[in-house]
Amino acid sequence: MKTKKLLALLLCAMMVSALFACAQPAAPATEAPAAEATEAAAAETTEAPPAEKVTLTFSLWGDPAEQEVTQKTLDVYNNSQDKVYVQALQIGRDEYNEKLQTMATAGEMPDCGMVAEDTVIGWAKDGLLMDIDIYAGQENLPLDYLAFKYDGKTVAYSAANEVLALWYNKAMFDAAGIPYPPTSLDQAWTWDQFVEVAKQLTIDANGKHPGDAGFNKDNIVQYGAYVNQYTWQLEVWALSNGGSFFSPDGKSVVFDDAAIEAIQKVVDLHLVDNVAPLNDGTQDNGFTSSIGAGNVAMCTEGQWATGFRGAGFDGIDYGVAVLPYMKEKVTIATGGPTGVFATTKHPQEAADFLRWYNSEENGMNTIMAGWWMPTKQNYYTDETLLKSWVDDCAFRAALPADAYKTAIVDVALDTNVTHQSAWYYTPNMFDVIRTLQPAMVEAINGSKTVKEVIDSVRDAMQANLG
Amino acid sequence: MKNKTKRTNNACKEQRAAYLFLIPALLGLTLITYIPLLAVFGISLTDLNVGHFIKGGTMPPVQFVGFQNFREIFQNPNIDFLNSIKVTVVFALLAVVCSIVYSMLIAMLLNRKMPARGFFRAVFYIPYILPAASVMISWWFLLKYDGGLINYILVNLGLGKSYFLSAANTAIPSLAMIAVWTSGNLIVIFLAGLQNVPRVYHEAAEIDGANAWQRFWNITIPCMTPIIFYNLLMSLVVNLQVVVPALAVTKGGPGKSTMFMTYLMYQIGFRGRELGQAGAIAFVFFIVAAILAFILFATSKSWIYNEGGDDQK
Repeated sequence: MKTKKLLALLLCAMMVSALFACAQPAAPATEAPAAEATEAAAAETTEAPPAEKVTLTFSLWGDPAEQEVTQKTLDVYNNSQDKVYVQALQIGRDEYNEKLQTMATAGEMPDCGMVAEDTVIGWAKDGLLMDIDIYAGQENLPLDYLAFKYDGKTVAYSAANEVLALWYNKAMFDAAGIPYPPTSLDQAWTWDQFVEVAKQLTIDANGKHPGDAGFNKDNIVQYGAYVNQYTWQLEVWALSNGGSFFSPDGKSVVFDDAAIEAIQKVVDLHLVDNVAPLNDGTQDNGFTSSIGAGNVAMCTEGQWATGFRGAGFDGIDYGVAVLPYMKEKVTIATGGPTGVFATTKHPQEAADFLRWYNSEENGMNTIMAGWWMPTKQNYYTDETLLKSWVDDCAFRAALPADAYKTAIVDVALDTNVTHQSAWYYTPNMFDVIRTLQPAMVEAINGSKTVKEVIDSVRDAMQANLG
Repeated sequence: MKNKTKRTNNACKEQRAAYLFLIPALLGLTLITYIPLLAVFGISLTDLNVGHFIKGGTMPPVQFVGFQNFREIFQNPNIDFLNSIKVTVVFALLAVVCSIVYSMLIAMLLNRKMPARGFFRAVFYIPYILPAASVMISWWFLLKYDGGLINYILVNLGLGKSYFLSAANTAIPSLAMIAVWTSGNLIVIFLAGLQNVPRVYHEAAEIDGANAWQRFWNITIPCMTPIIFYNLLMSLVVNLQVVVPALAVTKGGPGKSTMFMTYLMYQIGFRGRELGQAGAIAFVFFIVAAILAFILFATSKSWIYNEGGDDQK
């Protein structure tokens, strides 16, 4: 009996100790913070920091190939000076915000890092971002529209520049005997011209086009157009039609009649004109889903589409052109920003590093891969510098480079044409998109008009702006 | 008399041992479930924001706001929590009922002697172990309005296209169908239950002239009721917690048709940084799940056939 009792007690003791063992951290937090531990592998290529160096954690998202490029860049920085050691904290894009905000609740955000465009101003408002201007006192500045501002202060800069443009499959135009879309603003298509060409390029299984007798809209094998319907990209059409989404100070929802009319025209590409596939904006809906899928002749997408030629789409010969317009010839700019986080103990070192990291000289790999454009104005105006990233880049040269210069570079330099995306100045853009995007699907599938959708979420969007 | 005393002493010792053995489980439950639950309730009574954790940040100090967050989530049309409760419960009930019927049918088929039975059992179980986000994205491709395989088949059969996940009235049934497809775990449990239905009952009924339907309805189903109850409960809990479809594919739309409770909580807490409101949603979610589980337990005695009965000694 005593043996049984002893055995029972022993078992209990084992289970309780196992429970506490599970709750024990693997190592004291001071020795190896969880965030840093995850980066051990990424930091393998550089030597461990000497004790006297300031250690900064730089958080970023990206696929393994991008992570490798980033690590090489950090290695260069770490070996170029002996005061600061930067280690990367790689986080998946889908859980990036959640991870950083969870770290914030523990008071342990990285020192600096990438920030999602739709949360920059919200983070600044809630105190997660330090209002430090990394280019304060510098001479060579990024283009004005690449600064995120809250309360009149710059809180982050885009690390790259991107503008929206029109992309097209050359083989489909050649097969239809239609000239390529215009590459300069003075020859830009009107919206109606764009729709007309899209109709000629849309073909059903029997070779008929929209408007032909017997055209079957349920059995289209090639679509003429695909307009990216991410909520933030739709803004360009509102501006093009003389309307707007928000007031210039970002505090009020506008979505005027011109904006609503413009978005209805975009939605009607599928519903009425039958030249575009249904695109509800919930998944990737840009280049890869259209020209990359091989069944669409034209799509709207950011400059980053240049990089797809080197990312598995090299079998498709595509070109770039300027966006069509409704009333005004416009485009919008964006670019993934970097910022200094509020919990850092080394704001100046973090700012210095970001300025170095954002510089074209150190980010040339990503620029030459086609994904990014420079942020500094001199890279657009100085002939030698311009040549270094346009003519000397095989992907841009293939578009070809002259078309790229007029359709992208000239447009990006013209501040009458290129507007900031709303998230550079609008607080809580994430909440606005969260409200508008799922609602828009009902307009996209035709069960409601765009006006009905906007009216149904107008108050909610205004509340989102705070 | 002596024997009775001995029995009582033994019973006491057994009880003590039982409580001792329960300690680890109780500790785990308390630390991992009940204390966090109370903490969530506590947070729901404040205006806590992620910004409050930043030392020297811009946020004013945390305020106790009473039940303001609960009023906010129910009255603010921007949050529209009532809609989230409705779509979650509708989805869960649809998915649970269809999953139970589908799993039972498949389990009965897989319980018959047939060639390659092991292979087919694996085939029906595999969807359950696939990564949920990959499953949803794969189905999104299959169900796409333009270019989706299902609509391609429908068109070639001369039937009209369906919007599936891209229309408010078809999104929930489409997601329920995917949930049914992934219910391989229920099939395995039903299969184990079917193999335990006493063969003698079926033989006796066959001798009495009962047909297959009568044997199924009067023998198989009653014998399976404890298993059905278990599967109902597990399936209900899992489907009430639905979040992956919205996270991976629908983003809560079209309209608000898939704005599930957990997805709304995630959006407000993890993306919107309003931890107080997210806490209120989490607590109400717990209440809703508890009510549905209670209803299931309360009605179970009237339809579960227990051969052994409860251990009430």
